[in-house]
Amino acid sequence: MDKAPKFRLETFFDFFLLFLGLVISIISWGYGFGSLGQPGPGLYPFFVGAAIAIFSVFLLISELRSATSKPVLDKERAKTLILMTATFCLWILAMPVLGYVPVTLVATFSFCKVMKLEGWRKPLAVSGGTALFIYLLFDYWLYIDLPRGILG
Amino acid sequence: MEGLSILLNGFANSFTTVNLVACFTGALIGTLVGVLPGLGPTATMVLMLPFTLPYGPTTGLIMMTGVWYGAMYGGSTTSVLVNIPGEAASVVTCIDGYQMCKKGRAGAALALVAVGSFVAGTMGILGLQFFAPLLGNAALSFGPPEFLAFMILAFVLLSNLSAEAPLKGASMIALGLFLSTIGLNPMDSYPRFTFGSEKLMLGIDFLPVAVGLFGISEVLSVALEKYVRPVVNRIRLRELYPNREEMRRSIFPTLRGSILGFFVGLLPGPCTVISTFVSYSLEKRISKTPEKFGQGAVEGVVAPESANNSAVMGSMIPLLTLGIPFAAPSAVMLAGLRMHNVEPGPMLFTTHPEVFWTFIAAMYLGNLMLLILNLPLVGAFARIAVIRPQILIPIISVICLVGVYSVRNSLFDVWVMIAAGVVGLFLRKWKFPVAPFIIGLVLGPTTENSLRQTLLMFQGDVSLIVNRPLSITLLALAVAFLAYKFTAPLWGRKYELKVEEGKL
Repeated sequence: MDKAPKFRLETFFDFFLLFLGLVISIISWGYGFGSLGQPGPGLYPFFVGAAIAIFSVFLLISELRSATSKPVLDKERAKTLILMTATFCLWILAMPVLGYVPVTLVATFSFCKVMKLEGWRKPLAVSGGTALFIYLLFDYWLYIDLPRGILG
Repeated sequence: MEGLSILLNGFANSFTTVNLVACFTGALIGTLVGVLPGLGPTATMVLMLPFTLPYGPTTGLIMMTGVWYGAMYGGSTTSVLVNIPGEAASVVTCIDGYQMCKKGRAGAALALVAVGSFVAGTMGILGLQFFAPLLGNAALSFGPPEFLAFMILAFVLLSNLSAEAPLKGASMIALGLFLSTIGLNPMDSYPRFTFGSEKLMLGIDFLPVAVGLFGISEVLSVALEKYVRPVVNRIRLRELYPNREEMRRSIFPTLRGSILGFFVGLLPGPCTVISTFVSYSLEKRISKTPEKFGQGAVEGVVAPESANNSAVMGSMIPLLTLGIPFAAPSAVMLAGLRMHNVEPGPMLFTTHPEVFWTFIAAMYLGNLMLLILNLPLVGAFARIAVIRPQILIPIISVICLVGVYSVRNSLFDVWVMIAAGVVGLFLRKWKFPVAPFIIGLVLGPTTENSLRQTLLMFQGDVSLIVNRPLSITLLALAVAFLAYKFTAPLWGRKYELKVEEGKL
């Protein structure tokens, strides 16, 4: 029986929560705790940070006690996640420059290929249809002025 | 008589083209979302928020509730025909619904579910119409200590009811509360956690976080799963007629489910899901033939489906009367109303009574629309369930991108959405519930205001809370619940020991 390492990504997340909770409390103290009668701007976030830190300590303890776990993502899934996220990021970076219609078309096509939609015709049809729908929805129905970029 | 006249006025207001179209659109999209596995009602409601902005708050509320409501109707279709729940509140329906389908009674099951959902929805609206103004008036006497105590009780219940591990739920609430503190503090305009960034001065907007956590993370989650094409059983209109025995057996479970669901809807947490499990187990327990459950018992289909519909209406009560959402979809509604500068709460019935009564009237119409929509089109909806995620995911992804950007023309919001989506994906994998996070984010400012005002009122002497009977009762309930949760394993162990010793 293969035993997964005890120290996994979720444990890192619990440590991150602990760190975050402590940082929030320390920074909040700096904003001015005030007193219970005259609460300062830091009082409430101080308690919220302390709560996060306390909860994460208990989470860490139960996490380290638990025996084995499956990895969250295998190689194939990790690749899909990275490609999906990269497409999202590319849309954000390219949209103000090239305009929302062409970038949406390319992004939809990219999503289709990442999702392994077979061939070229189907992805082109889906991306073309989606870009047209988005254009009609935002331009003609909602009258929202979105960046048209150098191509617009 | 006055109540009837303002309801009739509400009907007159809801009979505008915009409201009727909003009601129909919400109901239709909700049904589609319920049918399609992967995208839940919360994600859809968040995605639709930007589209409600050009219209009034009532129209927005009608559309949102239509989506939530429609998803409850639609979720049953795939549960019965494909054995795949369209959304979480239809999981229980699979047990007996699919068995009925295998016996050739799918049409009857879906017809009874549609009628049962209609009855439950109508009863839920009646309950909301009756209880909400009463509670709203009672809540007028609430001061900051009462609101604070109520919020603490809600957080305790929410963290325990919405997560397998309560600590995970609690830490998610705390994270949401923290996120709400970023930006200028509305009480003294003090910038917190902004690190000099002008963008952070305005705070983290609800919409990108919610679209990320519910929309993008679901999109990523579906994209990472292997797709198995479901086999849909065909259904014809003439097969929709239930026989007399099935009708007789479904009357009381429908009524019981409706009443039970409404009261479960008042609890914090995923009320629609909880109501189905509670209702199913109640029916099984009181049935004279419990062995038929799991074999295609009609009671096991209609009762949970009725319960989840009336739970939607029940959960509107804390939102509309106190301004406190107990479930993720109602948190989205609160955010939507705030975008329209309407603050739900005790004052809603005096400052914006038209919002409440038009909403009530529109819900009656929406419920009728859903019945008309769902019965004849059930076959068409079932076929939609086989649309592949390879086509759906790209479309939903770009709608999320453009939709979030269009609200404030802010790329920063889109970055926030992507970050929330990726984090949300891992949170789901690690079984951290995301709904408490969103509720914490929405309720953060109210919680802080209540805490600071309470402390100022009591001049720091928190022991004065004993002079507020309602506050102390609510806090005592929270403490009692926590004490029960901590000692429950001990009681269970004692019981097991007694059984082992043969004393029980």
